[in-house]
Amino acid sequence: MSEVATGLNAAGIRADARRERNALAGLTSPTFLVLGLLLFLPVGWLFWLSVFDDTGLTLENYRRMVVEPAYISIFRTTFELSVLVTALSVVLGYPVAYMIAFLPPRAASICLTLVLVPFWTALLVRTYAWLVILQRRGVVNSVLMDWGVIDEPLQLVHNFTGTTIGMLHIMIPFLVLPLYANMRAIDRDYVRAAASLGASPTATFWRVYLPLSVPGLAAGTVMVFVICLGFYITPQFLGGGRVTTISMKIQQNIATYFDWGAASSLGVVLFVVTLAVFWGFSRLFPLRRLTEVGGP
Amino acid sequence: MSSGALPIAVRALERRYGRVVALDGVDLDVAQGEFLTLLGASGSGKTTLLMILAGFTRPDSGSVKFGGVEMIRTPPHKRNLGVVFQSYALFPHMDVAANVAFPLVLRGVASAERERRVRSALEQVQLGELGSRRVDQLSGGQRQRVALARAIVFEPGILLMDEPLSALDKKLREQMQIELRHLHQRLGTTVIYVTHDQREALTLSDRIAVIDGGRILQIDTPQRLYEAPASHFVADFIGDSTFLPVSVRNGVARWREQVLQTARPAADGEYQLVLRPEKVSLGAAPAANLLNAVVEEVVYQGDSVRIDVRLAGGAVVTLRELARAARIAAMPAVGSPVRLALDPADTVLVPAP
Amino acid sequence: MGMISTFRAAILLSVAATLPAAAQTTITFASYGGAYQAAQRKALLDPIEKMLNITIKEDTLGGVADVRAQVKANAVKWDIADLGGASCARGSAEGLFEPLDYSVIKTDGIDKAMATKDWIGVIYYSTVIAWNTQKYGQNGPQTWADFWDTKKFPGTRSLSRGASETFEIALMADGVPMDKLYPLDADRALKSLARIKNNVVSWWASGAQSAQLLKDGEADIVAIWNGRAGAVIKDGAKAAITYNQGIFNIDCLVIPKGSKNAALAQKAIALMVSPDLQANIPALIDYGPINAKAFDTGKITPEAATKINSAPVNAAKQTNMNFDFWRDNLTKLTERMDAFLQQ
Repeated sequence: MSEVATGLNAAGIRADARRERNALAGLTSPTFLVLGLLLFLPVGWLFWLSVFDDTGLTLENYRRMVVEPAYISIFRTTFELSVLVTALSVVLGYPVAYMIAFLPPRAASICLTLVLVPFWTALLVRTYAWLVILQRRGVVNSVLMDWGVIDEPLQLVHNFTGTTIGMLHIMIPFLVLPLYANMRAIDRDYVRAAASLGASPTATFWRVYLPLSVPGLAAGTVMVFVICLGFYITPQFLGGGRVTTISMKIQQNIATYFDWGAASSLGVVLFVVTLAVFWGFSRLFPLRRLTEVGGP
Repeated sequence: MSSGALPIAVRALERRYGRVVALDGVDLDVAQGEFLTLLGASGSGKTTLLMILAGFTRPDSGSVKFGGVEMIRTPPHKRNLGVVFQSYALFPHMDVAANVAFPLVLRGVASAERERRVRSALEQVQLGELGSRRVDQLSGGQRQRVALARAIVFEPGILLMDEPLSALDKKLREQMQIELRHLHQRLGTTVIYVTHDQREALTLSDRIAVIDGGRILQIDTPQRLYEAPASHFVADFIGDSTFLPVSVRNGVARWREQVLQTARPAADGEYQLVLRPEKVSLGAAPAANLLNAVVEEVVYQGDSVRIDVRLAGGAVVTLRELARAARIAAMPAVGSPVRLALDPADTVLVPAP
Repeated sequence: MGMISTFRAAILLSVAATLPAAAQTTITFASYGGAYQAAQRKALLDPIEKMLNITIKEDTLGGVADVRAQVKANAVKWDIADLGGASCARGSAEGLFEPLDYSVIKTDGIDKAMATKDWIGVIYYSTVIAWNTQKYGQNGPQTWADFWDTKKFPGTRSLSRGASETFEIALMADGVPMDKLYPLDADRALKSLARIKNNVVSWWASGAQSAQLLKDGEADIVAIWNGRAGAVIKDGAKAAITYNQGIFNIDCLVIPKGSKNAALAQKAIALMVSPDLQANIPALIDYGPINAKAFDTGKITPEAATKINSAPVNAAKQTNMNFDFWRDNLTKLTERMDAFLQQ
């Protein structure tokens, strides 16, 4: 309980403060409204569809996920794929972000543009491009066979491998961008300080640079992992039927169950899992550290 | 603490950035245990020189020797230098003690010994209690001290400091200057200190090197630098100076026909007389050079009163009188004619630019 | 200035143009969009608008769930909907459709199985064997048993990853006669599929994908919709098909329950399945007329007819998919197929 000031002009000054607060609320309320309509309503509707059918409340759509062996393996496939793609994105994306962060600004912006080039093409086109590159009579197999490296074409696509490659290509920019933004903000003096204190370039990287880039790495990793969980087109086209993700099953359930309930329940589970991943990451890397980047 | 202080020898150091010359053939000798300040404006090349000494920047050519050993191709982590950065560069993911222990960990110092030395270094900078603090919980002055402790804990023979106090407020900065002096006296390390603050340079240094355009213009003790600047640039850069054109003919110095008594004889030629606020005074003094002037402005500034006077020919000279009651009462009115007294011993001539 | 008055004139004109149309009766037709619906517009809708002096508005749909939503909400916008065969069977079982009035709709020339109390077929498509002629010449696999025979026809295969069609194929490959397929023996089908699994380079998910596999030679033998195979061959790919042991599938027409123009919709459907309009279809899209009498109208040359899946000569070699079976078993068998694919 704070006492209300009664001094000279106190009421007027309070009114000014209130007006400022109201203006701010007025400016942000459309955003909240849109978020509420676009996020919470559909999610609520999804949940409703998944537990109610003609007969009333039902958990049939959830029971199926536990009972049918296909669902368990779909969840496992989706997670294995997401973990693998995320890990490979880190392995391949980190050096790219690192290199760009140390380039002069002009060269860095050119390189960033190159990283973003994949986004200029439609997802479907990129996915088909991988088919052309990876299939039995594709570019890679043709070259390897011409060189006599292999006699029989390698099975690079229509399976888990092809799906991983296709998704990796799409996801690397999502790792590089937040990581690069983080690295750009890491003061060069930290690296110099470490060197002056006796740290070799390797020691500097592991003991100083890497820990300082963790916020960007965490942001990128969460983003990549969560997007991977929802992948549909790439596994659909590059998986050859051997890779079924949750999103593919959602689509399939709409077609086979002639009903939204069976698909909605998967959507709800995917949503909950995604929230859980965010929650887990935010426990590991508190949001404060994700927003605060090295430097006094 | 440090018996291992090393002398530094720099020869013919050159560095260009495209067409810009950052260092133009720098030669520099720093004695073992000396506190040398590189003083210059931004862009003068002082920071480039420090970065090359630290090994962070490669020169185009030249030689840098620490204790007689060539270092020019040695990577920074093998130079064994303590470096204090303007930004402090304390690692935010480590607490204070871990920051200070960092160079010891890299050198494989055993943990008990490490702890002892970290504590000792923190005590040297009067931060004995703060080892477990996170870096972002420290004030600017405390961070400065941690950075210092981290740079000295492994007893490097040379300490490089890049404007380490510039982020502090004035009062703290002056306090830290005194502490740095004492620390240097205790440790005996060779120190190269970069600053653009002339008062800081004068306060701290054994010698000061004034740098401009990638060259060292003058290197001298603070007193000699101030009292006997070798050039117009140095005289202008250090202290608030007003310059009057002076000609010397047949050993006689003249300003606008008026003969000036000088402390030292000068060869015939064109010179500039350096007038500093504390070197001139109002009113007659025996054996002094006396210049006629008119009071332009009188400004009370607390500890002193600043008086601007206009000489014949239009040059405005600033002088400073200590703010004692008797003097304040006797202040001349604006517009009144006065006589400016300059002791021949304070008469400094520099070659005309 | 000039532009504004032109704009005004345009508005007035367009308003005027809609007035007589508003006086006319309007029905709404919903289908799957794309090239298919465009062909339906030209072959069926345009002539019907003239013949009945009505306006037919179009909409697109995603499946029977859309129809169900309208019926359940008592907000039926569509008077005629085009659905897949299994969807029709499903919606019929749920009572989502108005009964069809066979005093208005004439079924001469239409297979009785394709004209039920509340849905009627509108086009046929077939799942057939297509092969790479570069690899096997013109004498490719002629039966599903050949498809399974990797000694006689070494090479890669591709099948649909959906259960329907693929289970029928697997059973025929295992020796089940075409007319004894239903009810499908799922265990036997999966056992049969297990034998070919290692030779299947890709289990396709869409018509486009099956076409790509055939076209690029990624799969040497493909179980594919005849329309897709036709497009690939027309594109110059070295491939051929046989209708032998093909499986007929259909798209069908329904009147959603509660349609406000049901009577008019009956008349429109009667025209849509009439030989004369049915005969317009093959020239526009690679689907076969549901009405065999379309081949007697003279609009389709005998030479063209040999290529059309539902032409009598080809139809004799094929079998109908049983939609009632799939209505009752699709979900169960889909889950089993999924589990099989992921083993």
